[in-house]
Amino acid sequence: MPAKSQVEPPGQDPQMVEAGSRLDAILRLSHDGIVVISLDGMIVAWNRAAERIYGYPAEAIVGKPLAVLVPPDRIHELSEIYPGVARGDTIENFETVRIRSDGTPIDVSLSIAPVRDGRGRVTCALAIARDITPIQRALKEVAQSSEKLSDRERMLRRALLALRESHEETKSAQLHLVQAAKLESIGRLAAGVAHEVKNPLAVILFAIDYIADTMPSPDENTITALTDAREAVMRADSVIRGLLDFSTATELTTTAQDVNAMLRRGLLLVRHALTKAHVFVVEELEEGLPPAMLDRNKVEQVFVNLMINAVDAMPSGGTLVVRSRRDRLTEVGQEVGIRKTDRFQVGQSVIVVEIEDTGTGIDEACRSRLFDPFFTTKPPGKGTGLGLAVCKSIVALHGGTIRIANKADGGGARATVVIRSIRSQEGNGDG
Amino acid sequence: MDKIRVLLIDDEPSFTRMLKLSLEHRGYEVRVENNGAYGLTVARDFLPNLIFLDVIMPDVDGGDVAANIRSDPSLKDVPIVFLTAGVSKETTRAKGNIIGGQNYLAKPVTVEEVIRCIEKQLGKKTAAS
Repeated sequence: MPAKSQVEPPGQDPQMVEAGSRLDAILRLSHDGIVVISLDGMIVAWNRAAERIYGYPAEAIVGKPLAVLVPPDRIHELSEIYPGVARGDTIENFETVRIRSDGTPIDVSLSIAPVRDGRGRVTCALAIARDITPIQRALKEVAQSSEKLSDRERMLRRALLALRESHEETKSAQLHLVQAAKLESIGRLAAGVAHEVKNPLAVILFAIDYIADTMPSPDENTITALTDAREAVMRADSVIRGLLDFSTATELTTTAQDVNAMLRRGLLLVRHALTKAHVFVVEELEEGLPPAMLDRNKVEQVFVNLMINAVDAMPSGGTLVVRSRRDRLTEVGQEVGIRKTDRFQVGQSVIVVEIEDTGTGIDEACRSRLFDPFFTTKPPGKGTGLGLAVCKSIVALHGGTIRIANKADGGGARATVVIRSIRSQEGNGDG
Repeated sequence: MDKIRVLLIDDEPSFTRMLKLSLEHRGYEVRVENNGAYGLTVARDFLPNLIFLDVIMPDVDGGDVAANIRSDPSLKDVPIVFLTAGVSKETTRAKGNIIGGQNYLAKPVTVEEVIRCIEKQLGKKTAAS
């Protein structure tokens, strides 16, 4: 349908004719809607693009008020824009919404300028309307897909985090399983070995005692031989007992315990070794520690073991420091976290026990093997290599940790045992 | 004066032989039974002052043997001391408690420890009766 310009036909002046023809071409070919509006708000002219954008043919709209195209909630725009245009103002790229003939809203960008007569008076307004619905729709779609992308990214991040957590949990569960399986097989082996070895040892010991008892007047060499044989049996027995302790360190009978009292009893048990090795004891026990649910015999065994190790590390004397204090875990760290699988939770109350010596310290090569069963640096007959393995197993069963490291000043080693205090166990309810 | 009679019920012949020799040397009268299943019969016949009883034996559990002996009127007051090789002291203590708070000795053990144990059990018994 050809454009129907309502612009007055020009006179016969060839220049005017050409100008008119040019204007017609512009109106006809423009992709933007061009609308001429009278000062009283009536539509006077309407090009083909305007027909396409608004859906009204020129003959249906020319002579109608501009308000036909304006949604009721935007009708105020007319009184805000047109008086200014009538005074000579120009409006550029004013983005708004208009209504098509079928009632659908369309997004338009309007540029409006006054049209003046030969004397410069504003006679009407020319509005150019660009349909920006597709652009707006595209922008909305972009915004929506960007929102969707962000959502997906958030979901992916959450999934990744959950995956990492579950990976960590699986790893830790697997470690626990492997450790438990190891302990179980060592336990079975130990019980079997103990039964098979303890009976012959018992026979040998009775035989030694019997010979010593019944021999009329043994010479010095015979006495030495019998004494050595008896000691050898005792040594073999202590290895077997260590193994049994290691294998039975899986059941606990816990009661509320005062850690300081346990440390003092431990010191009493090792006092002979302390005196013999000229070791001076410093007790730094924090008073008023909260109680902890512990298997008294087993944890005392841990403390005594650590004290004996400390004494053994100071063959020519030194100082043994036995320290206790309460602590509240405030930061995520090794074995301290926010997950259930972490041994300790942030915010938990714990009791820290430290046993320090002023000995030779731990060789770097030995550090990773300290807790391995049968690993020992002590001379033959002195250690079974099971002490720390048993300690670790007992502490782990109590849900605690044990760490052994050289002191920062390099003058000896420090064993640190961290266990939950009762208040914390109750508070967290996570056992 | 009659000798103190000690019954050893343990499936290890070399162990019971050595312990018998050692205790007889110290003046005790000792009877050995290496088959736990015959423990009760031998005990009824021997009427010991004290019984050493192995916990783990091939055909019978020391705890069951102890329960049978304990249920016999002629033997119910005879102290039973468990001898154990296969389990740790803590487990034995727990097991002993279930059977009735009996004493126990963990192998290997010296003759002196065995004798101290006998004196303690019989001294207690004398004091109690």
